[in-house]
Amino acid sequence: MILVPSHVPEVFVSMYLPAIYAGLIVGFIGSMAIAMRKKEIHILILTDIIGFAMMLIVSAVGTDLAESLILPGLVVELAEIMAISEILLSREMHKIENNPKVNVDKRISLFSLPYNLDMEVMTTAPNFIALVLIAYGLFLTGFTGGAVAGCGVVLYLVSRKARGLAIFTFEGLSGVSGIAWCFWIVGFALFFLLPEYWLVSLLLAACGLLLKVASKIGLVGVLMREDMNKE
Amino acid sequence: MIDVQLFFYFGIFLSIVGSVATAWGPGVKDPVIRIFNTEVASIGVCLVLLCYNHVLALLTLLATSVIMTLILFRTLIRLEEMGVDL
Repeated sequence: MILVPSHVPEVFVSMYLPAIYAGLIVGFIGSMAIAMRKKEIHILILTDIIGFAMMLIVSAVGTDLAESLILPGLVVELAEIMAISEILLSREMHKIENNPKVNVDKRISLFSLPYNLDMEVMTTAPNFIALVLIAYGLFLTGFTGGAVAGCGVVLYLVSRKARGLAIFTFEGLSGVSGIAWCFWIVGFALFFLLPEYWLVSLLLAACGLLLKVASKIGLVGVLMREDMNKE
Repeated sequence: MIDVQLFFYFGIFLSIVGSVATAWGPGVKDPVIRIFNTEVASIGVCLVLLCYNHVLALLTLLATSVIMTLILFRTLIRLEEMGVDL
């Protein structure tokens, strides 16, 4: 017996089984291919396919719950692929360093080519555009607002206005992100413990998420700036 | 009027065909072709999410698939620069 809540539309209920089966088939194809390959880079690309299978199965739920499960799934998958590719690169680097016959330069960067942003707009406009983006992000709040405000921070950081940011600022940004996470958790708990204060908990969660996403994108901007102005 | 089901089944078809193409398609000995083939499956999943009205998930999927392609290409380029046999 399958329990279906009454607010799920009839169309979504009829699409449930095909989506589940499609997810299972895609996942099976992906795992078979991973089992058959030996090169690491091919396996790394094929993990993408497993992620798509996960998304198909989760989206078959068809309510807002599915959406809220897909978002962290995607982000975790992205982080996983980033981490595995770093491990892969450092392992190959290690192998080459132990082999004295090959000589390779040791810098690893986000862009492997020189990438110089020498445009007039990067020195004149960023203050204003970053301010507008951050203000609009604060107005939006939540995940979207965090992304918009983070774009403003990245724009400000990659332009030449803010060169030489101290390591203290870098650690401070991570600290802000941690505090924002606490806001989010407190808001989430208040929803269940004291439901009559739902507005407070909603705002706590939204502002926490805003700070978190914005500071994380800002950190990416700090990392990118090291590579941006390289000749 | 075009039925939602049409897009849904086309999305499922694309995601299955895309994953088969990524796994055993023509020319997948080259990692670049394999990375491009994952995009086909990604578009299929996008269509399925579109049928379910998952707007935020759809936008995030588009953004992450772009970033993922960038990361994979960067890894590929670095590995090729090091002279690793792919």
